Amino acid sequence: MRDRILIIALSILFALIVTGLFYNQILRYSYYSKMSRNNSIRVLPIGGSRGTIYDRNEKPLVTSRLSFDAVISYQEIGDRRRLAELLSNVLGMTGEQIMNAFEKAGRRPFAGVIIAEDIPKDKALALEEASFDTSGLDIETKAKRNYIYKHFGCHIFGYLSEVTEAELDSLKDDGYRMHDMIGRSGLEKYYEGSLKGVDGGTQIEVDNRGHQTRVLGMKEPESGQDLYLTIDIRLQIVSDKLLGDHKGAVVVMDPRNGEILALSSHPTFDPNIFVEHNTSSQRMELLTDNKGRPMSNKAISSTYPPGSVFKIVTASAALEEKKITHNTRFFCSGVYKLGSAGFHCWKDSGHGAQNVVEGLMNSCNVFFYNIGRALGVDRLETFTKLFGYGKPTDIDLTDEVGGTAPGKDWKVAHKKGIWYEGETLNYAIGQGYLSVTPIQVLRMTAVMANNGNLVHPHVVKKIGSNELQNQKPKDLGLRDDTLREVRTGMFEAVNNDSGTAKRTKLSGTIVAGKTGTAQNPHGRTHAWFCGFAPFSDPKICVVVFLEHGGKGGVEPAAIARGIFEEAKNLGYI
Amino acid sequence: MMIDRRMYKDFDVMLATMALVIFILGLLTIWSSTQAKGLPFAQSYVLKQLMWFGVGMIFFIIVIKVSYHKFLDMAYIIYAVNVLLLVFVLIMGHARLGAQRWFSIAGFAFQPSEFMKISLILALSAYVGQKKGSMESLENLIVPTALLVIPFVLVLLQPDLGTALLLVPIFFAILLVGGAKLKYLTRMILLGIAFMPVFWHLLRGYQKQRLMVFINPNVDPLGAGYTIIQSKIAIGSGGLIGKGWLNGTQNQLNFIPERHTDFIFSVIGEEWGFLGAIVLVLLYLLIIYRAFDIGNLTSDRYGKCMATGIAVLLSLQVVINIGMTIGLMPVVGIPLPLVSYGGSSLLATIIAIGLLLNIGMRRSTF
Repeated sequence: MRDRILIIALSILFALIVTGLFYNQILRYSYYSKMSRNNSIRVLPIGGSRGTIYDRNEKPLVTSRLSFDAVISYQEIGDRRRLAELLSNVLGMTGEQIMNAFEKAGRRPFAGVIIAEDIPKDKALALEEASFDTSGLDIETKAKRNYIYKHFGCHIFGYLSEVTEAELDSLKDDGYRMHDMIGRSGLEKYYEGSLKGVDGGTQIEVDNRGHQTRVLGMKEPESGQDLYLTIDIRLQIVSDKLLGDHKGAVVVMDPRNGEILALSSHPTFDPNIFVEHNTSSQRMELLTDNKGRPMSNKAISSTYPPGSVFKIVTASAALEEKKITHNTRFFCSGVYKLGSAGFHCWKDSGHGAQNVVEGLMNSCNVFFYNIGRALGVDRLETFTKLFGYGKPTDIDLTDEVGGTAPGKDWKVAHKKGIWYEGETLNYAIGQGYLSVTPIQVLRMTAVMANNGNLVHPHVVKKIGSNELQNQKPKDLGLRDDTLREVRTGMFEAVNNDSGTAKRTKLSGTIVAGKTGTAQNPHGRTHAWFCGFAPFSDPKICVVVFLEHGGKGGVEPAAIARGIFEEAKNLGYI
Repeated sequence: MMIDRRMYKDFDVMLATMALVIFILGLLTIWSSTQAKGLPFAQSYVLKQLMWFGVGMIFFIIVIKVSYHKFLDMAYIIYAVNVLLLVFVLIMGHARLGAQRWFSIAGFAFQPSEFMKISLILALSAYVGQKKGSMESLENLIVPTALLVIPFVLVLLQPDLGTALLLVPIFFAILLVGGAKLKYLTRMILLGIAFMPVFWHLLRGYQKQRLMVFINPNVDPLGAGYTIIQSKIAIGSGGLIGKGWLNGTQNQLNFIPERHTDFIFSVIGEEWGFLGAIVLVLLYLLIIYRAFDIGNLTSDRYGKCMATGIAVLLSLQVVINIGMTIGLMPVVGIPLPLVSYGGSSLLATIIAIGLLLNIGMRRSTF
């Protein structure tokens, strides 16, 4: 009989509901009926503006500007002729355009419908003034994202677009409404939660002419938080200009703390296109260009074989594992024999006897075949992973990928086969299954520049007034003599007249670096350069990657030189 | 194991018919509330709901054919799997931007918290039934409490305040009919009330706001407050006989957000008036009456606990859902059983009804 308690309790609740329905539907019928007939409640949203993005010198990069839209509430149009005249005089709309606008507004007669988007301020003011005695017309103000430097730095910022109806289902609890903008890539997406403002608004009661009679409630909008970046927009512009029409990426970082000073990926896009109106054909073009892939950030979202820049890892591994010392020499005749197969050096006539510094300076493949074999695939795999390959660097940008740091187990799992000795040789010179992102190569370069520490690359320094805690660099435990030999090799590559990276040589500041020319199955070789300066106390490191860009020692080395020059002008080195 | 003739005799045709009638009323209302979207039938919410109903029927047949004792035997496994799914959703939700209560299987959103209600009823009934007459001791309340707290916290973190809160009365109802001491139960309720401030702390900003809005709708005239005001206008303006199917102005003019899901009752109130609303409430009451009846007729302790749990679950969902559309309850996101658009809720309710019928059909077997 204990369920009697439950039955009584539930009966009371049901009685309450029925009473509530009776009260609302029968007793208060005429009140609600009138409310519904008049549709007298309006919500005027006031958008909370999105946070501003500043560079490291607090120069604004991405802001929100005011934009004005002309809105028609069809039901409230009084004098149609007069309104049409006004639209044609001020906005220069043709008769046909005005007819279309009225028709569009007529489809949702009770709601305001935007008929002209983003109109100039003076015209907006003129319409606003006229709207006092022309009912049915309103000017709505909203904040529109403005990427001041257009395509410069676009892959850092990313872009925005409207939330879709499907997304709204899961996003509405976070305060998103129809037509709200949401970050789709880059910082706009990664820091969406901080950047987004909180919408406010007023709820008003209007009379049958649509004029406000009473404010029912008001909620203040809140602005999103500002982001302060590690980027220097001056260096960013130079980096973008140097990259020019090449497909590829350039990234500049402070090796001491992982602060990214510039990050370029080409081809680029203008993020403004995604917030402006009447640009859908341009958007489609950007989003469907599968050849240039302008929307993809090639510095972090695509992987490539590293080629000879990877020799930095192979050399470090051989020195660490004591497979060689600074004066161990191998003879390069231009070819290395493994059984009946010949593995070639890039220089057919051979380099002669090479030690590790010369091997790096000349990028001699045969030297690295020898030490690669001495190391074996397992040790190569260990060091590849030690230098951060095979997983994302966790940079604070979206869509980063980790690439592949292969090994025996990896091959069994992904290629269903055993590891061959010849593959170890390819591994040692950065070819084969190995695939990396430019940002990973940059981080490896920084290890050489900062005495053996793996830093966490990042773009944002401060959110609002909160300084972000720097992730501590990871000490890889490399010995001093290992670092010294590899660094010397990189020094010689740039500063020796026969070095592969001699085009990077700068007067007044000593640069060290390594080039890479990576074969790939899709056509011309990929071209790499990575390096740092000043040699004695590195403050800047750079990676240049050109997709199908030919030889690393040619254009990438020259682009890097330009970056170091500008960094010097700006006082970084 | 198999169904014999006597079982068919005890198949509660009335209960099944009432449920089907409510579901059809629901389809008509979903059609009305989504027609402003102008979707073709092939993409319509009605079709999706019908597809879910089809899936539901498969589950229904399974649930009817197998004795509910089999489900009780597996109750803890079902419970554990459901808890794992909740954890999974939680982890996935964290990986995304914000809240996520569902994951999708072949394009259908699947919401484990809806099924948790049933899993909890099963697990509690299995425990209480097995303890026979010894539920009076305090020790035997420990396991049931743990069974409640785990999903409660997980669902609350999702965050789905309404569903989490709904688990609590189910717990008390089953313990009550299961023979726990009233003294202990009242103390637990008091303890729960004492923990309210901690609980408040766990809520997200917008959840707090919704509760505040319940106390004073003008706190948030744009968010939850707006929905309540518009929903009340819709229902109130429906009057005695309503504005007619497809003719609700509040509905058709997009004034009410979520009107095909949580706020679907405002469309019923507007288009079918007080009479329509009362008919719907009566249909629910008949189902709930049958549920208690089945619980009383069965001589099986397990079955009684389950039937009571399901009766309380259905009652409270109806009361809370309708209550929130007329401002009598806070807006907590509880769907109207069999009516609101949404596959997981529909599926869970069909399973619950199947279990009820199952208990009814096997009431004299031991």
